[in-house]
Amino acid sequence: MESLENAIEVRHLRKAFGTLKAVDGIDFELKQGEFLTVFGPNGAGKTTLIKILSGLTQPSSGTAKVAGFDVAEGHPEMRKEIGVISHSTALYADLTPLENLMFFARMHGLEQPEDKALKVIGEVGLSPRRNDRVRTFSRGMLQRLSIARAILHDPAILFLDEPFTGLDLHAANVLKEHLQRLHDSSRTILMTTHDISCGLEMCDKVALQVQGKFAFLENISDVDKDRFESMYFDAVRDNQFAMGISL
Amino acid sequence: MNLYLNQIAAIVWKDFVTELKTRELLSAMFIFALLVILIFIFSINLSIVKASEVGPGILWVAFLFAGTIGLNRSFMLEKENGCLMGLMLVPADRTAIYFGKLISNLIFLSIMELFILPLFMIFFNIDLLSHLGPLLVVVFLGTLGFCALGTLLSSLSSNLKTREIMLPILLYPLLIPIIIGAVRMTGQILDGTELFDMMKWIGLTASFDIIYIGVSIMTIDHILEE
Ligand SMILES: Nc1ncnc2c1ncn2[C@@H]1O[C@H](COP(=O)(O)OP(=O)(O)OP(=O)(O)O)[C@@H](O)[C@H]1O
Ligand SMILES: [Mg+2]
Repeated sequence: MESLENAIEVRHLRKAFGTLKAVDGIDFELKQGEFLTVFGPNGAGKTTLIKILSGLTQPSSGTAKVAGFDVAEGHPEMRKEIGVISHSTALYADLTPLENLMFFARMHGLEQPEDKALKVIGEVGLSPRRNDRVRTFSRGMLQRLSIARAILHDPAILFLDEPFTGLDLHAANVLKEHLQRLHDSSRTILMTTHDISCGLEMCDKVALQVQGKFAFLENISDVDKDRFESMYFDAVRDNQFAMGISL
Repeated sequence: MNLYLNQIAAIVWKDFVTELKTRELLSAMFIFALLVILIFIFSINLSIVKASEVGPGILWVAFLFAGTIGLNRSFMLEKENGCLMGLMLVPADRTAIYFGKLISNLIFLSIMELFILPLFMIFFNIDLLSHLGPLLVVVFLGTLGFCALGTLLSSLSSNLKTREIMLPILLYPLLIPIIIGAVRMTGQILDGTELFDMMKWIGLTASFDIIYIGVSIMTIDHILEE
């Protein structure tokens, strides 16, 4: 039963692309209902970590368990438990929001796909545009719609890769409130973001990923929020020196 | 099982809705196939060669080339905006995704072929109507093999930068048995041979259809991994 209590369990996880170590030995676990925010500079391997955890790419070594399933096995049952927002929208440009979400609802095997689709479209505030082609949407509208796609099947675990990108202030607040509600109803959430105050505000645990490693992983109660920013900038600066970039 | 069939149906439905709006796939395939036939018509003197001798080869060249355009386009839709990643995230067996794409490719190619056949009949002045039943059986067997392997290989090559080039390079050599079978059978049908008199060829083509589908079921899991 121990593995069920831990919604996510990551051990010595590594992923290399040739000689580049995108994820280089990460260990952590999240209990059901915990919210982890991962900060880190560009290229730190945050997206790669999320891809491994959602079963989109295989780790080079190490293990990761999500909802009790080994991610490397690619079990369809595991995918029922997770919702993912990533850099790409994963929406069909020639279909409308309603058609897109009905499609994903059917692929998830949900009852009444149309009702479910309409409900989440309303939640992200896209009802007036539900019958327009997605191709014509603005960046923020696309982001809202990918949020709708990720929460459509009410997953127990959410992987959110920079979910606030492109959202206007209102939409960002709506998303924050929604994440808060999901958090309160004990969904497990792993989020990456570059927005420090927003990321620190909602989470239970904070990690700072630099060059594929967690340079820092603490409970939020042990984190001095004012000092976090300067620590973050130190890490980013060191990383840029390591990568040979000078600004 | 119900969910599995539902997922296949959802993919086919999605491709249909897209095509109804854009009409890009069918029009591109149709125009290409038509052009192939027209080029041959103008370069062949039909008073010297018998239409039923050159016709089958030309017909299948048109189907194959147009079909390749269709396969490329059909997979491009899945790659755009990372849709394929979205498909990888739903709790569907990879084979359901394969069969969904296979069936929609098969339907689109068949529609294209049904438009091309009457034009072929008119341009080459061949009477297809009297052999329509057997002809459709043969066209179906050939198209099924083409789509079965083509769907697999277009997902294999979809991660490559050179997808448009790689697909035909991988696909055509492996399709040779099916193409030979389909062209031979089409020729015999136009000469008035009955279906039972070419059971060998039918068996060959159908076996390759089954082999291609079987290989796809076995390998699609690994191919759709990134
Ligand atoms: N498919 C791939 N092939 C080769 N290298 C890759 C691939 N995917 C990621 N990388 C490399 O892995 C490293 C980590 O990339 P990743 O996208 O995980 O960073 P990130 O932390 O999400 O950055 P950002 O904040 O910019 O989103 C980068 O150096 C990137 O170039
Ligand atoms: Mg990223």
